[in-house]
Amino acid sequence: MVKMRWKWRFVNVLMKRMMSIVIDLLLGATVVALIERVIVPSLMDVKPWAFGPMSIGIIISGAILWALIGVLRGASLGRLYTGLDVPEGQARTIVTHLGWIALTACIIGGWIITDISPIEFLSGEGLQGAGRIFGALLTPEFDVIGEALAAMVVTIFTAFMATVVAVPLSFLLSFPAARNVMATSPLGKTIYMGLRIILNIMRSMEPIIWAIIFSVWVGIGPFAGMLALVIHTVASLTKQYSEQIEDVNAGPIEAISATGANRIQVLWFAIVPQCVIPFLSFTIYRWDINVRMATIIGFVGGGGIGTLLTQYQGLARYHEVGTLVILITAVVWILDVVSARVREALR
Amino acid sequence: MPLLSVRNLTHTYPNGFQALKGISFDVEAGEFLVVIGLSGSGKSTLLRCLNRLIEPTGGTITFDGKDVTHIANDPLRKHRGQIGMIFQHFNLIPRHSVLNNVLYGALGSTGTLTAMLGRFSEELRTRALEALRVVGIAEKSGVRADALSGGQQQRVAIARALMQQPRMLLADEPVASLDPSTSHSVMTYLERINKDMGTTVICNLHFLSLVRQYATRVIALKDGQLVFNGSPHDITEEWFTTIYGEDAVEVEIR
Repeated sequence: MVKMRWKWRFVNVLMKRMMSIVIDLLLGATVVALIERVIVPSLMDVKPWAFGPMSIGIIISGAILWALIGVLRGASLGRLYTGLDVPEGQARTIVTHLGWIALTACIIGGWIITDISPIEFLSGEGLQGAGRIFGALLTPEFDVIGEALAAMVVTIFTAFMATVVAVPLSFLLSFPAARNVMATSPLGKTIYMGLRIILNIMRSMEPIIWAIIFSVWVGIGPFAGMLALVIHTVASLTKQYSEQIEDVNAGPIEAISATGANRIQVLWFAIVPQCVIPFLSFTIYRWDINVRMATIIGFVGGGGIGTLLTQYQGLARYHEVGTLVILITAVVWILDVVSARVREALR
Repeated sequence: MPLLSVRNLTHTYPNGFQALKGISFDVEAGEFLVVIGLSGSGKSTLLRCLNRLIEPTGGTITFDGKDVTHIANDPLRKHRGQIGMIFQHFNLIPRHSVLNNVLYGALGSTGTLTAMLGRFSEELRTRALEALRVVGIAEKSGVRADALSGGQQQRVAIARALMQQPRMLLADEPVASLDPSTSHSVMTYLERINKDMGTTVICNLHFLSLVRQYATRVIALKDGQLVFNGSPHDITEEWFTTIYGEDAVEVEIR
């Protein structure tokens, strides 16, 4: 029987309550704002009134009302999400209704916000445009194939070098980013938390944004693209590696520690052997992903086939664009198959 | 002076679970001590306190005249190096060769970098092969550890422990994942190490028939407390129900 100390249980429940209220407030505000600023004006075919104190007041009071139902009746989506109890009976019914209202408001509001228009999608003029571009793409101009292949090589090696540079960094960072390695001391826990936060921020910034930053820093070209990919790869691989480390069987760690081995020896002889194969698998998959990303990064100055594609697209030379698209598709497809095969063989 | 002396040992886990509630006993050099008790009675915690994989929350442990209850770093590693340990699930390093697994028993006395580069000396290799010969499995030295059967893996684990040239050997349910015939083979190797090499053995066991056959002395734990300390032949029906509860039926393993 495991008894949690009452103090921690109390803090835990309090945190969950607070979080569930915050969730309800945000959800209520979203639903009311959607209805007030998007759905109602659209149904009445008027422009929404100016976003002022009146509007803000309605949204805030709606949010408070939404959260109040949760506090008073225990019927709240926030409570459901944080794993708190929702009383049986009427409260359950209210929660279900609130859930449907939120989902319906989001779908109708989303339809209006994204300008979804089946008429434009299927109009004669629209279809004519589609025919033109598909026609051009399907009658590629193969004169550019030499240039395209050279650019493709740049893209593939940008991705490759980014992976090569990122792997040792990720390997070293993954140990301090693994909970089971660091949880032994308060200092270790602090380092673990700090590293996790930094990595999450690094990963949340898309490589395309890093590419914009580095194209100003080192100039437009493959080097900028590679640096952008290194950042993103380190953040992603460190997370995957460290999760693998957290997943290792604790038995060998105990056994190696019991021989009188030091911490580094325990890492090297008990943890690393259990991780090598999954690490390789993640790395190969990451290179595969990096080739696709390197293509996209080319659009904003990361060099390679992406840059070439934007150039021809800018000149409206869609027959050449067609060649590039075919080449990119082929390379991505081949890499996908090859990396899947290799990963399968590693298992 | 006893080799090992435990006084009022207590251990409470961070979640509040009290695994050991004040345990005292002595172990003389050369004994084959068996610890019995239900799952959750504190047997595994006790063993892990002895080689200090766990730091006890109270009491003292004296090994070879030295208080080891709260040692850390180098003295702790030296202490662990003197005590071999084998486990229910063997805990070998998968994908590594049998010989390498045995060599890892010498990590406590090898330089970190030398070991990481795999540069174990000829002398260590000879000793590792010798340890494998003791458990009758030397011909498998080049095989991947995870390719062996359970009984063979446990013998490799014993060889790894022997590699430490231990003064004491801890065995945590060494036969609980093995079939009956393999169980006896593994227990026989432990007995031989105890008798021929004079290594003190402390072993957690489930089956009373094995206890009677191999133990020179028995202690029994119940809810973290010591409820029996004596000869294996003194465990009567009455003691059995005290240790294992009213509903328990003795199961024979041959």
